[in-house]
Amino acid sequence: MSRAGGITNAVNVGIAVQADWENREFISNISLNVRRLFEFLLQFEATTKSKLAALNEKLDILERRLEVLEVQVSTATTNPSVFT
Amino acid sequence: MQQWRTENPAMTFDEVSMERSKSFVKALQELKNLRPQLYSAAEYCEKSYVHNEQKQMVLDNLKDYAVRALVNAVDHLGTVAYKLTDLFEQQTLDISTLELKISCLNQQILTCQTYTDKEGLRQQRMFTNNPRHHKHYILPNSASRQVQSSSQLQKDATLNHVQPKPRPHPPGTPASKTLSWHLASETNSPLNGAPHAASSIGDIMAPKITSEAFHFLDTEDAGAPMPLSTHLRSASGTPTSNMALRSFGIRDSLGPSKTLTAFRSFDNPGRLQVYRPPARSKSMLSAFFAKNKSLKPRKASIS
Repeated sequence: MSRAGGITNAVNVGIAVQADWENREFISNISLNVRRLFEFLLQFEATTKSKLAALNEKLDILERRLEVLEVQVSTATTNPSVFT
Repeated sequence: MQQWRTENPAMTFDEVSMERSKSFVKALQELKNLRPQLYSAAEYCEKSYVHNEQKQMVLDNLKDYAVRALVNAVDHLGTVAYKLTDLFEQQTLDISTLELKISCLNQQILTCQTYTDKEGLRQQRMFTNNPRHHKHYILPNSASRQVQSSSQLQKDATLNHVQPKPRPHPPGTPASKTLSWHLASETNSPLNGAPHAASSIGDIMAPKITSEAFHFLDTEDAGAPMPLSTHLRSASGTPTSNMALRSFGIRDSLGPSKTLTAFRSFDNPGRLQVYRPPARSKSMLSAFFAKNKSLKPRKASIS
């Protein structure tokens, strides 16, 4: 009887260990996917920042060109005799 | 964008862009709302595991919920990233269109400026009289014509007025003292001997003197052509050949610094004659009036 109880305890321990290992494997998978999600977020942030910086630079250049055009047009409108 | 257009084809471009930005903000808000939901789900699972007797069932439910929550979070993040990228592409397209329009405006203004510049130049050109013919292309021909007919003295008077602008002379050399001027003045002067010599000079020099010799001779002083004429008279009665003329002309172009020039006469090849040009007067008028005195060259024969 005692031997049967000991064997049952050993089996239970084995099952528990196996379950524990399964749980740990599950947790490691979950944590791995969360880390991948985090890396994707970091990469996405860097890419978006560089694209927005390029867009900002383009906008600055366009703004300066518009200012120059505005000055030229105002000069032309103030001196219409040049074109007559 | 195509989905929105199929749903509402009457929407304008601004409305579509507004819808895009709205959907992006909505997706971002939903992602933000995931956090408190996950926190509340985690607290519930902890309490149920602690208080419930069927712990294995709670654990299994917790595993399923964790997987679904992770998938849901990934889905939300993907939606937000897609909408943000779409919005960014739309903005890039708008900026490209704007850049194109600005380039068109720039080109139009440049065209207007070019037109005004051209018009200004055209108006300026109308008021300027640029000489088209240079003096040394006109004067020898006119000098030769005047020599041939004595009745063309009136043309000489007009020629002095009509003469085009002389070419730039070296510094220190006044324009009136050029050879061409002297040629013209010699043809105008009512001298006995001078016209014949001048005629011979004109006949010979006009067609035969090269531009180089002409340039050399232009650098001389007022009295430069006189030795030429007197020498030609003294050397022989016949017109000189080109070689003697050129050699003498080139030698004479050295200027007043050289007082003695040596030459070989073709009539007497064995005899070397040294020619001393007369002293040159400083003023043009003195040189003009001194011609009548017929400055005789001093000859020194060296044999």
